Amino acid sequence: MKATYETATSAADRTEAVDDSRPRRIARKALVAVPVLVLLAAAPLVLGVYPVSTMTRILAFAVLVLSVDLLTGVTGLPTLGQAAYFGAGAYTAALVGIHLTSDAAVQALAGLAAGLITAALTGWVAVRARGIVFLMLTLAIGESVHQVADTWPAVGAGNGLAGMPPISLFGGPPLTAAGFVYWWVLAVAVIVFAAVALVVRSPYGRTLRGIRDNEPRLRALGYRPALARYGVFCLAGAVAGTGGALWAAHARFVSPGDLAFEVAALALLSVVIGGAGSLWGPCLGAALVLLVRDNLSASIGGHGPLVLGLVFVAVVFLLPRGLAGLTAGLTAGLTAGLRRRHRKERIP
Amino acid sequence: MTPLLELRGLTRAYGSLRAVDGVDLSVLPGERHALIGPNGAGKSTLFATVAGTLPATGGSVLFGGDDITALPEPERARRGLLRTYQHASLFLNCSVLDNVALAVQRVHRVAHRFDRAARRFRRTEAEARRHLESVGLTGRAGDRAAALSHGERRQLEVAMVLAAQPALVMFDEPTAGMSAAETERFADLVERLPDSLTLLIVEHDLDVVFRLAGRVTVLHLGRVLASGSPEQIRADGEVQRAYLGSARTDDLFTGDSR
Repeated sequence: MKATYETATSAADRTEAVDDSRPRRIARKALVAVPVLVLLAAAPLVLGVYPVSTMTRILAFAVLVLSVDLLTGVTGLPTLGQAAYFGAGAYTAALVGIHLTSDAAVQALAGLAAGLITAALTGWVAVRARGIVFLMLTLAIGESVHQVADTWPAVGAGNGLAGMPPISLFGGPPLTAAGFVYWWVLAVAVIVFAAVALVVRSPYGRTLRGIRDNEPRLRALGYRPALARYGVFCLAGAVAGTGGALWAAHARFVSPGDLAFEVAALALLSVVIGGAGSLWGPCLGAALVLLVRDNLSASIGGHGPLVLGLVFVAVVFLLPRGLAGLTAGLTAGLTAGLRRRHRKERIP
Repeated sequence: MTPLLELRGLTRAYGSLRAVDGVDLSVLPGERHALIGPNGAGKSTLFATVAGTLPATGGSVLFGGDDITALPEPERARRGLLRTYQHASLFLNCSVLDNVALAVQRVHRVAHRFDRAARRFRRTEAEARRHLESVGLTGRAGDRAAALSHGERRQLEVAMVLAAQPALVMFDEPTAGMSAAETERFADLVERLPDSLTLLIVEHDLDVVFRLAGRVTVLHLGRVLASGSPEQIRADGEVQRAYLGSARTDDLFTGDSR
């Protein structure tokens, strides 16, 4: 009798904990997100042109990393092919910029559509497979698209596409200042982040996590997971394409190197370092990876890849859940400590 | 009354080994039907073949009068033919609530919606919480499924299946590895299920079988040995021999009985 009573109270305790932790969690998230956004938005006011342009590239790359995370972290499909859709978006945005309009919103939408369509055309092959086979198929898709970009004269072949005019917004004057381009890229990146966050928290996101955890069980519950997998592949293609358009808006030059294997591998590396499945972790990972490759590398005699390799090994051994796992462990420890103290105070 | 589930000569062979060998079985709507038999009798294979996880190599499965032998597993589940697993099969990195909500959101046809956060689908959330409550897991809704104990995992498994709106549930050894108290709780839960729900239960604990089942079928070496009311089965000499293993265990190795 006593035992049942005890389990009943502890269950009630836990319900209470679950119920009142939600608003607190939201408050804690806002406490971090708002200052981060303010700092990001204020960056061009205090930093010089070079750091701002570095941050612009990081933001565009982070959008690509988000698409990899959607596939790898949320759905459990490790991919090396997202650079292809990133490239499709970048080339399309550059072509639109050169031949049609300098309107950045049109370019971003064109990049999104290009990523979506390319993913829809190539994805149905890939989503039939899982695990390592899926990884190899996406690698094949990535390399094929890279080959096309490298040899097709209409997109400049090996020389790439140069001569894209500066972007403009809503019919305004061309935005030549790095700060304005940065703000545009930041705005779109935040919108994409919010959209991906919504997908992850929606019933569809739950279905995707179900695919990651136990696809046979999902089938036994009456799901047809193949369609959901194809859907998320197209969605990730659209996200990567948008990232490509942002990349082009900043660089105003696209070359086959932008969709090479290295880019896909670095994007996957960012997800692993940041913590697959979390959204902000991989964004931090993206920043770390690009900073090491483009900034640190020059000052240590071009040994950036070596540093990245060491970081990768360190993360795998020390932080199996990436940067995101680091704070998750911290907050879990904190809450456990608080709860313990709370109990102690209540007992007498 | 037409049976809800009818097996006609259902066979599942692995090479020359016929794990399920020409099984005929009918389960009437609302019936509590138990399937018993010694280890290796083919009970789990029969379940997998009926659920569609394994394709049948012979015979047919009729559900609600329709031949579903050629239907893939998801289609069978959509018609209301659900199963649990001998070893709880969960979404371990998802929350306990998510596990049940996955079943509910498919029934509510919102599994592919991404226009708002999952918790804003109030009807789905409430339904999932109701099913968690019915198995006594309300307090663990926010925990990861991987954090559950063995008994709690079995309870979650039951909640998931009931949340998928089944017409027939196949329980594969639901009380295996449960403590006496957990077994009692499970039996209570099954007794409280609506009469319209049909159950097919594989179970080793004969006390549970004779308490819950209205009809018992005994499987031995892939074949139906006997079928009848619990009293008839208890009195059946052949069943006792199969369980005590006096004369026919050699059959397992020589296959003479075929």
